[in-house]
Amino acid sequence: MTHAKSNNSLRILMLAALALVASMALVACGGGGGLEEGANNDNVTTATGGDPAGNLNVSNWPLYIDDKTISEFDQATGATTKYTEDVNDNNEFFGKVQPLFSQGDSGGRSIIVVTDWMADKMHQLGYVQNFDKEMMTTAQDNLIPSLQSPSFDPNRDFSMPWQTGMTGLVVRSDLAPDVESINDLFDPKYKGKVTMLTEMRDTVPLVMAADGVDPLEATTEDWMAAIDKLQENVANGQIRDFTGNDYVQDMANGSVVAAIGWSGDAVQAQVDNPNIEWRMPTQGCALWSDNMMIPVGAPNPAAAYAFMNYVYEPENQAQIAEFVNYVSPVKGVKEVLEAKDPELANNELIFPSEEFTKNCWNQVSPPGDPAQVKEVEEAFQNVITG
Amino acid sequence: MTTLRQRLLPYALLAPGVVWLIVFFVIPMYSMGELSLRTGSLTEGFQLTWAFENYTNAISEYSTQFFRAFFYAGTATVICLLIGYPLAYAIAFKGGRWKNLMLFAVIAPFFTTYLIRTIAWKTILDDSSFVVGVLKTLQIVPQDGRVLATSGAVIAGLTYNFLPFMILPLYASLERLDLRLIEASKDLYASARVTFFKVTVPLTMPGIIAGILLTFIPASGDYVNSTFLGGTQQAMIGNVIQSKYLVVNDYPVAAALSFTLLVIILIALVFYIKFAGTSALMGDDDEKETA
Amino acid sequence: MKRAWRWIRENSAMMVAILVLIYMLAPIAVIALFSFNDPTGRFNFEWVGFTTQYWQDPFANSELTDSLMLSIRLAFFTSIGATILGTLLAIALVRYQFMGRKASNLLIVIPMATPEVVIGASLLSFFLSPAFLPINFQLGFTTLLIAHIMFSISFVVVVVRSRLIGFDRRLEEASADLGAAPITTFWKVTLPLIAPGVASAAMLSFALSIDDFVISNFNAGAEVTFPLYIFGANQRGIPVEVNVIATMLFTVTVIAMLAVIFQQRRAERMAERRADDDNKATVSVPI
Repeated sequence: MTHAKSNNSLRILMLAALALVASMALVACGGGGGLEEGANNDNVTTATGGDPAGNLNVSNWPLYIDDKTISEFDQATGATTKYTEDVNDNNEFFGKVQPLFSQGDSGGRSIIVVTDWMADKMHQLGYVQNFDKEMMTTAQDNLIPSLQSPSFDPNRDFSMPWQTGMTGLVVRSDLAPDVESINDLFDPKYKGKVTMLTEMRDTVPLVMAADGVDPLEATTEDWMAAIDKLQENVANGQIRDFTGNDYVQDMANGSVVAAIGWSGDAVQAQVDNPNIEWRMPTQGCALWSDNMMIPVGAPNPAAAYAFMNYVYEPENQAQIAEFVNYVSPVKGVKEVLEAKDPELANNELIFPSEEFTKNCWNQVSPPGDPAQVKEVEEAFQNVITG
Repeated sequence: MTTLRQRLLPYALLAPGVVWLIVFFVIPMYSMGELSLRTGSLTEGFQLTWAFENYTNAISEYSTQFFRAFFYAGTATVICLLIGYPLAYAIAFKGGRWKNLMLFAVIAPFFTTYLIRTIAWKTILDDSSFVVGVLKTLQIVPQDGRVLATSGAVIAGLTYNFLPFMILPLYASLERLDLRLIEASKDLYASARVTFFKVTVPLTMPGIIAGILLTFIPASGDYVNSTFLGGTQQAMIGNVIQSKYLVVNDYPVAAALSFTLLVIILIALVFYIKFAGTSALMGDDDEKETA
Repeated sequence: MKRAWRWIRENSAMMVAILVLIYMLAPIAVIALFSFNDPTGRFNFEWVGFTTQYWQDPFANSELTDSLMLSIRLAFFTSIGATILGTLLAIALVRYQFMGRKASNLLIVIPMATPEVVIGASLLSFFLSPAFLPINFQLGFTTLLIAHIMFSISFVVVVVRSRLIGFDRRLEEASADLGAAPITTFWKVTLPLIAPGVASAAMLSFALSIDDFVISNFNAGAEVTFPLYIFGANQRGIPVEVNVIATMLFTVTVIAMLAVIFQQRRAERMAERRADDDNKATVSVPI
């Protein structure tokens, strides 16, 4: 008797639990917002407010700053800066922050640093704010002329270069002395010792250019043809891997002898192995910038402006340039370095002349509407994930 | 005389844990399933369109990575079994006073982060290292070959990282072995080999199977070993899932791949449960408990 | 010759065992070794020279230290949460017969058998899904904690279970016979006796949490745990401090474990001695 009654109460309990689960499921089916809606902000705000001596959160790429600048900035302005190197890949970073940005929440960040094409994308989606130019006159004044009017931000309304660089060939001069063009990377004698970048907008245009296609005029078919060429060379073992910054490690120990890589990496790597050098491919290189931007919902634009002004002072920038070894976007840095470190000041990779970069192009994206771009991106992703 | 309170007590004890698992394990599986049927993009939003083609597309496009994952995991599991059994055996029967210490030595590597252990292998196996030099001299590796960025390296990494998962269940099973059965077999003039294969192995079968499952399943979804030790051609299905979720942000396809992997593994698990019962996975028998 | 063969055959298992143990500890040795290296550049994989400088100040790198602190905090709370939930589950499963036992068993076993990438991915899908935005599960510490507790529960259950099973019920019955309420019995008899099992379960979940990479990779949002830091740092050269800390983590655990083993041996020896004393003193009365 008791048995049956207790069983009933148990049964009721279980039904209750089931009902709970079912209702959650129904809610999941119905729900709105978030994943369902995309991002659609049409009003771009101007970033104002905040306390220049308050907290500042900066998201940047790894190895992009020396170890003294942040503390010196904090001392000079009274701010407290949290500098996080959590941008490892443009797409990856986008995926991380999109859910926040689409809700107008910056996740605490007041400055983010992403490459040109991602800066463009984020701006189009309404994820970044415009600058209050009165707050950043130093930065605006000291920007080098060649970077003052990029196609995606002709008046530098929302982006300010952090560093710029060149993508070309990185080689071990002792193990692969004759690599001068991207096509040399496909030379069978370097089979299995070649890597390329996971950044599609670096790798594919370089491959296209080596085959005579002008990256600025390339069609979707051209992109796909280059991607097919890459696929072939993955299948036959010519290309060992597609990497981010980690190709430098393999190059230092000789597992990789030639790669598509970034100018600053090579200069930095010479400390590990002096035989590593960056070479301008015969057909030219890709030029790109990583840009500082103030995202929506940034808690402290005032401190952000202070930071941007600070790093645009030639003295401070010289200190960064000495460590980072990329191309500095700030006027007057070369002169400062000439006194301190003449070798660095005359390094063509850090202060390239017009002549040096005459064949180079500003980093390009695949042509066409978002669907076509996605097609190319997917094809490339399939190649690099084997 | 059992009061209602006493009858409800087990449920009260169960409730927190079970609710946690339902909300944070079962329902997410449901979310993932639902996500896999959507289409769209991160910026336009993902709409539920019952896109079952996500599955067919995903499976046909990435069948290579699926097979590779199962092949690598399978090979690693077999090697783990071959290496792990003698070790478990030695610990159980010849360990004596050192048993706990040896067991601990098996688990100890776990206390240095997974990533660092794998990266250490990268150092040990890199092209210019001492170990590879020896292998080249022994002609196991061709002169112009390499160990890193090959299937071998990835399998070696998987074997190393999942060996404890094989050894512990084997040990648990071996420890329970009634030595008198082995003695009996010897008394009946069975050779050591026959004893081993006809007595020891069948009796430790639950442990063997538990070890196989606990090794194979996580290994097949792994992507860390192939990231560090492999090249583009060693990408496993885990790498694809990671890339689709975190880099390309193509959540529906990523979810479809993930779900497919899960289903394949669950099917294998169902077979095992039918064979041995759920508590055998935990390493003991159902009946012995509530005495 | 025959004797040599016999020796080999008898000790072959042991020899293989020792070889395997060496194999398992080899990378640890490498990691420890390179914590004393003094690399010239960013990368720490070629032996350059011996130095103890990184041991003198292993926490100099603030990003590394922050991530380590985060991981330790996370592991600590995970350990508490998972141990409580798991122990309750284990007690229910071992002690009571009830409807839905098989289902509960299944529910606990399946997460252990699910590849980490699937768990991580499904949690991410869950945290991003529309229905739960009202609760605003922003990826971060909370989501990490939820995820870590979730995957640890199953392991806690397994460990505590095995301890509970080997448990002498008569002690509990004796306590009840002496008039103790069930709760009192639990607190004063059961819990202390399963304490070692609960403690190992807690340590296990702590270890699993600190070591977790895959699930954290998916659900950390902007937070950086120690393994995530290493993953990022790998791109640009892992600082020697990481080797130092990894070696420290290993050493601390070794010492803790050795202490436990030592403690057990002592307890056993003392129990033996006490039994001997009892034997000498009185005639033992069968219970």
